[in-house]
Amino acid sequence: MISTRFVLKRLLLLVPVLVGVASLVFSILHLSPGDPALTIAGERASEEFVRQVEESLGLNDPIWVQYGRFLADAAQFQFGESFIIQRNTTVREVLANKLPVTLELALYGQLIGISLGIPLGILSAVKQDSITDHLTRIGALAGISVPIFWSGPLLILLFAQVLGLLPTSGRISVLYNVEAIRVTGLVTIDTLIAGELDMFVSAVRHMILPASVIGVYSMALISRMMRSSMLEVIRQDYMRTARAKGQGSKITVLKHGFRNAMIPVITVIGIQFGGLLGGAVLTETVFAIGGIGTLLVEAIKVGDYPIVQGTVLTFAFLFTLVNLGVDITYSILDPRIEQ
Amino acid sequence: MSTETKTTTETPAEMGERGLIDRFRASPFVSRLLSNRLALAGIAIIVAMVVIAIYARLFIDLEVISQSQLGTNPNRAAPSVEYLFGTDGQARSLLPRVAYGAWYAMLFGTVTVAASTALGVGLGIIAAYYGDVTDNVIMRTMDVLLAFPSLLLALALVAIFPDELGLWRAVAALTLVYTPRFARVVRGAALTVLENEYIDATVALGAADPRVLVRHVLPNCLAPITVQSTLNFGLAIIDLAALSFLGFGAEAGTPSWGLMLSNGVSQGLLTGIWWWSFFPGLFLALTVLGFNLLGDGMRDALDPRMREAVD
Amino acid sequence: MTGTPKHSADDKPPLSDDSPPLAVQATVRLRIVGSAVLVGVLVATVALAGTSLAGAYAASVDTVFALGSLVFGFGLLGWSGAVALGRGIESMQNHLDTGTGWTEPDARRAMVRILGFGLGVMLGTMGFGTFVGSLA
Repeated sequence: MISTRFVLKRLLLLVPVLVGVASLVFSILHLSPGDPALTIAGERASEEFVRQVEESLGLNDPIWVQYGRFLADAAQFQFGESFIIQRNTTVREVLANKLPVTLELALYGQLIGISLGIPLGILSAVKQDSITDHLTRIGALAGISVPIFWSGPLLILLFAQVLGLLPTSGRISVLYNVEAIRVTGLVTIDTLIAGELDMFVSAVRHMILPASVIGVYSMALISRMMRSSMLEVIRQDYMRTARAKGQGSKITVLKHGFRNAMIPVITVIGIQFGGLLGGAVLTETVFAIGGIGTLLVEAIKVGDYPIVQGTVLTFAFLFTLVNLGVDITYSILDPRIEQ
Repeated sequence: MSTETKTTTETPAEMGERGLIDRFRASPFVSRLLSNRLALAGIAIIVAMVVIAIYARLFIDLEVISQSQLGTNPNRAAPSVEYLFGTDGQARSLLPRVAYGAWYAMLFGTVTVAASTALGVGLGIIAAYYGDVTDNVIMRTMDVLLAFPSLLLALALVAIFPDELGLWRAVAALTLVYTPRFARVVRGAALTVLENEYIDATVALGAADPRVLVRHVLPNCLAPITVQSTLNFGLAIIDLAALSFLGFGAEAGTPSWGLMLSNGVSQGLLTGIWWWSFFPGLFLALTVLGFNLLGDGMRDALDPRMREAVD
Repeated sequence: MTGTPKHSADDKPPLSDDSPPLAVQATVRLRIVGSAVLVGVLVATVALAGTSLAGAYAASVDTVFALGSLVFGFGLLGWSGAVALGRGIESMQNHLDTGTGWTEPDARRAMVRILGFGLGVMLGTMGFGTFVGSLA
């Protein structure tokens, strides 16, 4: 079983991760061209005003003082107010609004990736070198060859415009006011909590296309991992023995092989979550879903540094948490691992 | 002893050259690759794209296809005999623009892959040669870079380079993103070569110079490098387009696939002007598929572990 | 140059588990960090002294410190990454491409060197800057 100590130890890892990311962000902001004071004040601002802004941001202090302040702020997730994108709003508020959007997309994407990737990988391994195997592998290859920003538009074209089955973009029909029933920020959950079935259906219909687009990527990797891991397990001695004893080979595979084959796959799901977040940036842009992915891109473009900092740290935070979850699942699946 | 010494010190370049051609002709790698139908399909796609790219570069006037044609051509016209791929929001015919996009993809893809190969070869050889702390620090750094999601890392790096660089900014960022893959491949191959007594003899004789190593190692890891480059080429084309799509690459008006897709999606998709994003995306996906098919076939033909999994 | 190439990064037994008592381990670690920090301080001082002589002091303090924090952050992130994802990276390498002998203890040691160097650069810049500031 997992001890509380193990979980605490892993949670403690968040500290070096966040300090590390904060240091990277700090250095990139200082190395990149562009003057934050000038960005806030505007290109045509008077010299004096720019000085004032510099003063208020503490840009005149020695750089190590700025660094210390930056780390202290980051530790409290305190990045001040957005410069440009949403003036007079704290970065925390902006993030609190946008984070659930990306989270929801990533969760459903991951769900689709896992629930398709694992069976496909097993199928491929069990029926090694059959047509199914080849088709699955070619399918996975084609899946990663088609960029999200093309498969997305194609799906919109087919399902939304030609067939008229699904909505084109956004998170829920504009007829509904989701803000009124906001609890978690995840529309598919909130609508259920509020008991609004119509709204729930609308939210799910909006989610299908973007989640599928993003899920295909994780599916490709997971099915490849699953196939390779499953093949290895099948070749192991005890599986041969089981088969020799006359147990049907397919049932044996599913019974004995699955659990063991899952262990390496699980570990990869955590790492691959990072790629999923990258994919979320593109998917949000294509489907006009305003999450933290598009927020990051906008903030980099216009130079809204507080937002950039907050978003990047949030990404790192999410990634670490997901991997903690993966670690816990792992130790449940494989009790031999003692932490 | 003395005759041996003579042959080993005098012929590395010669041997590398001869070995290369021989290896190519008689290699099981090439014959295995050529018997793989999917890999052949990949080669066909790539050759077609290269021909289109060269044709576009030679016979299509970049100035003309970059300028607005409003007033001259029909605006947002659907594909027809006259405008095979239709026209975009500035009445420009999409066919020559998409064709020219092939040139951009090939050009910038090649530069990105070549630059990261060069960097990776350098780092990999240094790591393998000096070993110990140097090796550990270089390779573990590469591992960390590999663990970052490539698009997010590229976004962070793009922010460091000034805007004026345009697509070159994306090229620079992606070069850094891809370098670790090559460093790993080269280091692995270099270590194998280093373990040969033959190199030990050369090194012991006073040729303690990484340049000697480059001459011995490069011919020996040409195959894995080529596989890695091929697989990476597809990735580079996607990522370059993705950066353009997000607004960190080509300047407005440039006929790059990523930018055309971006405009097509944001301005044309919801109003039914599907051709604006469809054709650039089709060419992009085809090219990437070509490189992935070829690269995958090469990997199967090369890597014994992979071969085992396939048999 | 010693002549014979050494590539023992992969051959060394991992430092963890069955290894020497804690006190020895701690000394070894301290020595690794310490020497990296010292090198960092040295590099920062030399770089700053050089640029000051060239007359670009103010800008270079910022740049050198930022570079130091880049290296430090990278090392720290790599270190925690090795600890948190070690298992995942190992199994991914085993299943998706040829293993390169990546091990978690190895990665952690390399990262400690890197972050130590970055820290040294930052400290060196701080020291140099404070010193110059007190002169003015």
